[in-house]
Amino acid sequence: MNHLKELIQLAKKDFEGCKTLTELDNAKSKYIGKTGPLTEAMRGLSKLSNEEKPKVGAFVNEIKQSIEELLNNRKDVIQKEAMLSQLKDEYIDVTLPGLKQSKGSLHPISLTMHRIENIFHSIGFDLATGPEIEDDYHNFTALNIPESHPARAMHDTFYINKNHVLRTHTSPVQVRYMKDNKPPLKVISPGRVYRVDSDATHSPMFHQVEGLWVDKNVNFSNLKGVVQDFLQKFFEDNDLTIRFRPSFFPFTEPSAEIDMSWNGGWLEIGGCGMVHPKVLNQVNINTEEFQGFAFGLGVERLTMLKYRINDLRPFFTNDLRFLKQFGDQ
Amino acid sequence: MKFSKVWLQEFFIKSIEGINLDEVLTMAGLEVDDIQDLSKLSNLIVVGEIISIEKHPNADRLSVCQVSVGLDAVPLQIVCGAPNARVGIKVPCALVGAKLSIDTTIRQTEFEIKKAKLRGVESNGMLCSAKELGISEEAEGLCELDEDKKVGQPIIDALSLNDVIYTLSLTPNRADCLSMLGIAREVSALSGLSLKAIKHKLTKESFSLDQKVKILEKKSCPRYCGIQIKNINNKVNLPIWMGQYLERSGINSVNPVVDITNYILLELGQPLHAFDQSKISGEISVRRAKRGESLKLLNDQNIKFEGIELIIADEKEPLALAGIMGGSSSSVHNDTKEIFIESAYFDAIDIAGRARSFGLNTDSSHRFERGVDFKSTLSSLQRASSLIIEICGGECSNILDMESNLPKRETIELRTKKVSDIMGIDLKDMDIKSVLDKLDLNYSDSEGKFLITPPSFRFDLSIEEDLVEEIIRIHGYDNIPAINPISQNKILGSPNNKKSIYSIKSSLANLGYNEVISYSFIDKEVEENLHDNLDLIELQNPIASQMNVMRSKMWGSHIETLIYNLNRGHNQIRIFEVAPVYQKIKSNFKETLMLSGLVYGDYIPEQWADKKREINFYDIKGDIETISCNTLSVKTPKISVPKAFHPGQAAELIIDKALVGWVGQLHPAWQQKYELPEKTYVFELSIEKLVNLPDIDIKLPTKFPPVRRDISVVVDADMVIGDMVEAVKSQTIERVIDFYPFDIYEGKAIEDGKKSIAFLILMQDTYKTLEDDEVSKIVNQVLDILINKFKVKLR
Repeated sequence: MNHLKELIQLAKKDFEGCKTLTELDNAKSKYIGKTGPLTEAMRGLSKLSNEEKPKVGAFVNEIKQSIEELLNNRKDVIQKEAMLSQLKDEYIDVTLPGLKQSKGSLHPISLTMHRIENIFHSIGFDLATGPEIEDDYHNFTALNIPESHPARAMHDTFYINKNHVLRTHTSPVQVRYMKDNKPPLKVISPGRVYRVDSDATHSPMFHQVEGLWVDKNVNFSNLKGVVQDFLQKFFEDNDLTIRFRPSFFPFTEPSAEIDMSWNGGWLEIGGCGMVHPKVLNQVNINTEEFQGFAFGLGVERLTMLKYRINDLRPFFTNDLRFLKQFGDQ
Repeated sequence: MKFSKVWLQEFFIKSIEGINLDEVLTMAGLEVDDIQDLSKLSNLIVVGEIISIEKHPNADRLSVCQVSVGLDAVPLQIVCGAPNARVGIKVPCALVGAKLSIDTTIRQTEFEIKKAKLRGVESNGMLCSAKELGISEEAEGLCELDEDKKVGQPIIDALSLNDVIYTLSLTPNRADCLSMLGIAREVSALSGLSLKAIKHKLTKESFSLDQKVKILEKKSCPRYCGIQIKNINNKVNLPIWMGQYLERSGINSVNPVVDITNYILLELGQPLHAFDQSKISGEISVRRAKRGESLKLLNDQNIKFEGIELIIADEKEPLALAGIMGGSSSSVHNDTKEIFIESAYFDAIDIAGRARSFGLNTDSSHRFERGVDFKSTLSSLQRASSLIIEICGGECSNILDMESNLPKRETIELRTKKVSDIMGIDLKDMDIKSVLDKLDLNYSDSEGKFLITPPSFRFDLSIEEDLVEEIIRIHGYDNIPAINPISQNKILGSPNNKKSIYSIKSSLANLGYNEVISYSFIDKEVEENLHDNLDLIELQNPIASQMNVMRSKMWGSHIETLIYNLNRGHNQIRIFEVAPVYQKIKSNFKETLMLSGLVYGDYIPEQWADKKREINFYDIKGDIETISCNTLSVKTPKISVPKAFHPGQAAELIIDKALVGWVGQLHPAWQQKYELPEKTYVFELSIEKLVNLPDIDIKLPTKFPPVRRDISVVVDADMVIGDMVEAVKSQTIERVIDFYPFDIYEGKAIEDGKKSIAFLILMQDTYKTLEDDEVSKIVNQVLDILINKFKVKLR
């Protein structure tokens, strides 16, 4: 029986020599496999007397358990070493650049328009659009700018033909919206507008947002309130103030230029006024019951101020070095 | 409108120094464009008189002058080099300590006058030229002043340089402010300073007018006044003050008569025209031009009449374009002895647009178009003639005055309540009265109500709201509070079946696209060729020839952007734009909001881990599919492919069976033409269609996993795989949840002209695991479709 006891020492030595799980598996079979000495010893139990059987059986089992324990210990060691070595092999340089598509971006004018729409949406302004190739009626006549009125000269108009122009402002959308909807109404209309003008501070195509609010009792002070509130929210500056300066637009009366406090001075940011009764009459709104205000803001101007850009031209040059900077907005 | 502050002062009894003119004008609604201060000259430059002169002992060209600079002051010895230095003339003299600034071509430098010895002779100041004072460009010799200048008086006073020039940008409604009188009226109303009446003596008539005038267009010319003046000397010098006022208003001096008419135009706002009496043949008529008649204008422009223009003519020919510009043949010159001056009121409608139609914008037409005070026709002429006689001598006739159909001023009702309703603050009758008084408006009033008759010089007051604006303006726009409106609050709807354009744009940005904004107009040649559109929408007045038509596609603009950026070192470019494109349909115009884009270069920027790969059709197609709903399909073109595309690499984009756009490779011919080194892909699709979301029917996932079977078939190499997929999908075989190709192979082991396609079939049953025979049955169903319709062979 002693030779069985020696097996423990042999197995120990054998197992320790194993470097992989396969080797260990092979080594295992020499001791506790189907043909191993312990299995044989167990088989030999049948030849023993009933008295001896339990003693020898227990002895063999003890040895088997010892060897299994050795085996499992070794297995753990090998597995741990393998894991360590795998981890070591799999180290990478995490500072190499990530694999990615180049960064896209939205145009700053789009960002501003979206922001403007959201702010006005928050107090219930609807959104409306209209054609850019506009007829004379909607761009001028309906807005109280009759043919050969000197105010037409204020707009350097692109002409398509006698009756069609590229809209010089987004105000015609007002007229279209008021025709289709009954007051009270609140709407903004952003979009492209066109003037025959091109230099460092003028682009032949630019963007405006027109706002209109018609109701029973919205007034000039409310106009000032809404515009100031908007600008405060847009620039996230609750100390921002505006001033109204008397001006003239044929489609509003009274009219005002909007100046905004900026760097200690005043900066012109748009025009506004109470909708002219002639405009309201055009769309069959009773001026004794309703009155309204309208305002127009330059989107490029707002964008330039927001991002502190001092040149208008990059908006239309589409230089990717300029545009990509807005990828994080 | 440009004017001198000193001139404005003449309209007031008290000094206007105390008011902030810039602010007052701005808040009156008269936008101040520019302010130029002339009073920067040192007070130590005074009027000096040369009382004796000697040659410099050591220099031929210099003289030593004794200059008187005041009654009590000791004469100064000043060395001077000017050739016109002589005894008795009065000149500007810079005293020791005076600072002068010299405007060299490079920069403005300031220097101080010091006691100095010039070639051994002491000099105690400097005698100046006009250029050294900065009041003229001329440098020749000393600036000789009028004899009546007071010796010792600072030069800024003597030359009235203590002045500021204001340039106003006036809106078309404020025609009344196109004169000094008008501006003074506004300043008076807003500042409370009272106006001084303009005095002028009436000149006695010396003979009776013999120029006959006939008005054939009484509606267009409701008032016409005229006067003849004989024996004038039109070679005299204009008084310096008048010359200065004109110059500071930006008007060039022509000759005294013309200058005086211009002076009246600026002072009172009434355009006048002076004719050389000797060039008028017989009776003057105010009539329509006849078609084919012509006139050479004062600016030498020859115009031919259409036959609708209002003109002034004599019995022979047209003399002037009424209210716009005179003719050159009857114009007044230096040697003119006898003149006829016209002062008329022309109807704005008749003048409006006319000047522009001849490419003109004159001081006269500018005013008539906007409205001229029809009550100043006669008085302006009286003032002009008395000034002419005062300055040029001569004698005048009686005044002709023909009047009919002058504009009527209707009374306007103004309700106190209306003012408060519009303003948003409560005003009392008293407040309104005070404003009406300040504006010097005629009114009668009862409680809460005013009846106002607007003055003849205001053309912008016709309805109640116009008066409300006047009240607010004078009350002060600054006194309008900013108050948030109180209104009914209704929640705005938000459609569930549409996504926002902004979210599509954001998706594209996430796919690496940069949004661009390009002009809506493009070169006609690009539109005709690349965009293949011959129904051009041309601009009558384009800003440049390469921007002369409205675009029907954005591709031309985007190729331009591509080239711009390629030239700046970019080589991987993905751009998009959302904008309308324009189409002409018969005589109508159609605008469609499109999403259009261009992709060029490598699939992803060059990097360390993967091989470089050129972008291909399927990359773009994938991007379009990503931003679209599964309602979009990409199909082999059924109609002819747009000229911009490679015919073999272009596809229709279909939503709800309608063609909504295109995607494809730019035709190699265009690639060559634009010299693009690599392939370029473009796409466009109607974004209005893209935002529509389909109704979806959400199915809960079953607990059983799907079963996958792959089949490999061989077909003709030109077989369109999309058709095969669609054929299988359209049969809606029960339990098939997906079917698509995952491998395509041509070459070894496959017959020539054939290709092998491996399809994946994904199957699933809601309630059980599929048995083998069920799976085989489904696979066979799929195979049957492919075999019957496409003659495939199982591999």
